[in-house]
Amino acid sequence: MGNTLLDSNRRMETMSEHLDKIMEAVISGKHAEIEALVQAAIEDKADLDQIINDGMISAMDIVGQKFAENEIFIPEMLVSAVTMKKGLEIIRPLLKGDEIKSRGTLIMCTVKGDIHDIGKNLVIMMLQGAGFDVIDLGVDMNTEELIQKVEEIKPDILGLSALLTTTMPEMKNIVDTLKDKGLRNNVKVIIGGAPLNAAFAEKVGADGYGQDAAEAVELARRLVKEK
Amino acid sequence: MTDFKLREPSPDWERIKKTVGLEEPDRVPLLEALVEYPVQSQFLGREVAPDDIKSQVEFYYKAGYDAVPITVSAMAFGKVDDASPISKVIREKMLKDESDKEDMTKWSLEYASFIGDRQDFENFPWEELEKPELLSQLYEVKDYLPEGMKVIANSGKIFTLVWMLMGFNNFATKLIMDEQFVSDVFRKVADIQLNLLDKIFDIPYVGAVWIVDDLAFGTGPIISPQAYRDHVFPWYKKIAKKCHENDVLLFQHSDGDLTSLMEDIIDIGSDLLHPIDPTCMSMREVKKKYGDRIAFAGNVANELLRSGTPQEVEERVKELIKNMAPGGGYCLAAGNSVTEWGKFENFIAMLKAAEKYGKYPVRF
Repeated sequence: MGNTLLDSNRRMETMSEHLDKIMEAVISGKHAEIEALVQAAIEDKADLDQIINDGMISAMDIVGQKFAENEIFIPEMLVSAVTMKKGLEIIRPLLKGDEIKSRGTLIMCTVKGDIHDIGKNLVIMMLQGAGFDVIDLGVDMNTEELIQKVEEIKPDILGLSALLTTTMPEMKNIVDTLKDKGLRNNVKVIIGGAPLNAAFAEKVGADGYGQDAAEAVELARRLVKEK
Repeated sequence: MTDFKLREPSPDWERIKKTVGLEEPDRVPLLEALVEYPVQSQFLGREVAPDDIKSQVEFYYKAGYDAVPITVSAMAFGKVDDASPISKVIREKMLKDESDKEDMTKWSLEYASFIGDRQDFENFPWEELEKPELLSQLYEVKDYLPEGMKVIANSGKIFTLVWMLMGFNNFATKLIMDEQFVSDVFRKVADIQLNLLDKIFDIPYVGAVWIVDDLAFGTGPIISPQAYRDHVFPWYKKIAKKCHENDVLLFQHSDGDLTSLMEDIIDIGSDLLHPIDPTCMSMREVKKKYGDRIAFAGNVANELLRSGTPQEVEERVKELIKNMAPGGGYCLAAGNSVTEWGKFENFIAMLKAAEKYGKYPVRF
């Protein structure tokens, strides 16, 4: 009995060490080391969900926070995402059904007339890092086509991005069109972009605004739970 | 055409030089790196095209400026459109399919990138970006330049050109995962800009070089301050040194929150920083903290020029002059550039207010 407890404690310690190392590798973007670290955890029979959730997704949450606080910048954040992806590729074939459980589905794009996609791409990367499925419809998205895609794909959330004050008004047009087509209650709408704020989100009838990628992830989590 | 008329244009480059030297000239100078062509057209009452240098000089003269900005680089201020030299190079030298030349998404650096890896880097037609034609407008302007006016050469863009050529995500990941490669691209682009500068310095009526290179978002730097110190600022420093050896001033423009880069920018040796992005920085605080080491221009918010009233613009200009101009070190300018999506009447209100309140000594 005593030995079993000891073994169990030792095992927990080992698991925790593995997870700490994986987490640290993702946070620091150790892309060359992650595969070996994940492999070692798997060989020690670590729980795969735990590696994904407590090792990597939690690490990306910290990365998002560090980014929001200007401790790290886009390159570091991108390399963390690359690192996580490399880790996930080791785990993916071992998961039952070959699928990582999705936290929800989003459609993302920049609105009509706006081709600035750096912000949108960062948000997508962080959402993927947090376990969401994201369909990226790119830039300068025609509103009619976008509505068709919402009808077809039935995402949990529609994420709209705009950098220009001149393209912001298109967001209201999109929300209004969703209402007119009777689709508004089926999808949450979130918006982001440098000139926007929460008041603007309310004004255009969106469900939320994210100031940065980390906030967007939190918002998506909350809205999917509410659905 | 506008009914606005200055009492008598009196362009004087010394006005800017004195201001940048942290002294008070006769008036607070007006300064812009770009007034978009539709605004110039409305002002003059006739169309002003990007290649119509004569009309551009007339515009800056009549509107009360002391210098005309001329682009002398592969990439102009503002959008990357078909008039940008870099676009011409890509369309003519990089696209194999004729039909792609009509498709902006295939050649504009706002959509497409061209240096994915080292092979692309080796194959890129770099020599095209150093061709003397890039300086043609700079030579042409000589015939039209009124006495007292000088030219500001918009050149020296390094950071933006590198990330746009590489594509943002590719650039950002390689900056960490293949740093030597990114460093080589920086070196190549910087060498080209430095070579161009040598030609610019031969022209006596160039008063300043203006590096228009966005380094920050509203939330802070695009890449880490250390990465700028490693890959970008040493080149700016070389540009500053060359400028000062040739009695040419160095101005720098970047959007976004530059708070964490301010000491570096001063250390580079820039004489003036523009526009102290009004959406995320306080001009008063910046002036208080750094105003004895560098001059500033800008801060009449573009959003105000778009949605405000002429009275509000006048108030803002008055406030800026009152707070910023005493002791010199401040040129009046928009919060980015004078764009066609701002209200024309507000641009005029800015010019009028500059005339009304800009006389030294500032007393109101």
